[in-house]
Amino acid sequence: MRKSGCSPIFLGLGITILALAVISFVNGAIGSKFVDVEAFKFLRVTQPHVSLATEPIFHIAGFPITNSIIAAWLTIVVLLILFVIGTRKMKLVPRGLQNFLEFIIEALLNLVEGLAGKKNGRRFFAVIATIFLFVLFNAYLALFPGFGTILVFEGEHKKELLRAANTDINFPLALALISFAFVEYWGVTTVGFFRYLGKFFAVKRLFRGNPMGIIDMFVGILELVSELVRIVSFTFRLFGNMTAGEILFLIVFFLWSWGIAIAVYGLEMLVGIVQALIFSLLTLIFAVLAVAAHGHEEEHKEH
Amino acid sequence: MSIGVYHPLVQTILAAETEQSGVAKLGINLPSLVAQLLNFIILLVLLYLFAYKPILKMLDKRSEKIKESMDQAEKIKLQTAQSEEQIRSQLEASRKEGQALIAQASQMGDKLKEEARKEARQEAEALIVKARSEIQREMEDATDALRREFADLAIKAAEKVINQSLNKDSHRKLIDDVLSQAKTLKG
Repeated sequence: MRKSGCSPIFLGLGITILALAVISFVNGAIGSKFVDVEAFKFLRVTQPHVSLATEPIFHIAGFPITNSIIAAWLTIVVLLILFVIGTRKMKLVPRGLQNFLEFIIEALLNLVEGLAGKKNGRRFFAVIATIFLFVLFNAYLALFPGFGTILVFEGEHKKELLRAANTDINFPLALALISFAFVEYWGVTTVGFFRYLGKFFAVKRLFRGNPMGIIDMFVGILELVSELVRIVSFTFRLFGNMTAGEILFLIVFFLWSWGIAIAVYGLEMLVGIVQALIFSLLTLIFAVLAVAAHGHEEEHKEH
Repeated sequence: MSIGVYHPLVQTILAAETEQSGVAKLGINLPSLVAQLLNFIILLVLLYLFAYKPILKMLDKRSEKIKESMDQAEKIKLQTAQSEEQIRSQLEASRKEGQALIAQASQMGDKLKEEARKEARQEAEALIVKARSEIQREMEDATDALRREFADLAIKAAEKVINQSLNKDSHRKLIDDVLSQAKTLKG
């Protein structure tokens, strides 16, 4: 590289990618309208079928197991294997996988403790880290071949065996409910039940005969609404982003299957980690706010 | 425009829209939701047991160990400085002591020298005195012997000159005369 700008390996690689890109473009949905080469027809990607709802693959005691649930199980198994192997023989001076896993956990811990403080950070950590790892591994595992390409036939109808859990709205919804439940739980246990509810039903000033208490009440109701709306925004943020990525893949493969798809993979890796961070960090921030309601109250009294 | 002019993908979506209501089309259903909730709880418990607990324990242990070693290093550093100071002060003390010893020794040497010199002088003086008295004595002895010999010599000479023995009285008188004359030799 340094000698003459371009080594033969890189040159060859570039030419190969370029050739594949050209062939796939000509052979793709757009190119085949103009030139129809019979020889490459078997490589043509079929027209994508988008369904937002997931499909049950089999039933356990009448309980439908969808392809996205199977994918979530796969994520759980992969994470479990990774961590069991990595933490089986822990050493004080870490090496290899243990080092890598410790790096991830420590980075997350620093993030959580940095935002929530040492004591609350340790309380929040397990849930925040699990949200992050689950979303991230769901997204990254879905980039492996096999997702959406292994088909199960049921008569004429064909179904995907694996579908990224993030793109099944039930998963983001479940995660949002968990996030909501834990935030409320932490808020109640830290601040106290009535005090925590007092944030949403702020009638204290009104009862004391202060007409300005109406503003408090109104703010409280707004807080309550925003608390509930979080569930919806959490759900659709993750679901929308990941599903859009999935559809982008389908369309790119349909139109131009080989060259440009590499760039889309890079984009999806970025989206995966960004969504995982957003989901976990927003949960963390909401938790910090819920726990801090106490201090807010105190401040009000002093005025 | 009829639905036919759209791309097949868009047709699919549009068709789905007319067929189902909103929530059902998104695919929200209770069994899947419950399953995913369970999945999360299971993962949370498993990761807590196999990931967070051991790793956090290890991280805490490590940071404690690092803190401990740093404290120890600090302590060792302090100790080293202390012992260095001690060594330095000891060196200083022994240097002083050495100097004092040297000074003492040279002082003692001076004293010894002085004493030796004094003794030598005294001895020499005594020797001189002794020699002088010896000389005096010897001189006296020599004078006596000389006087005696001279008397004999004189008597013999007189005998020869006179060639006869004198009687006792005249003999004694003669000797006394000679001796009184000889007394003038003494001195």
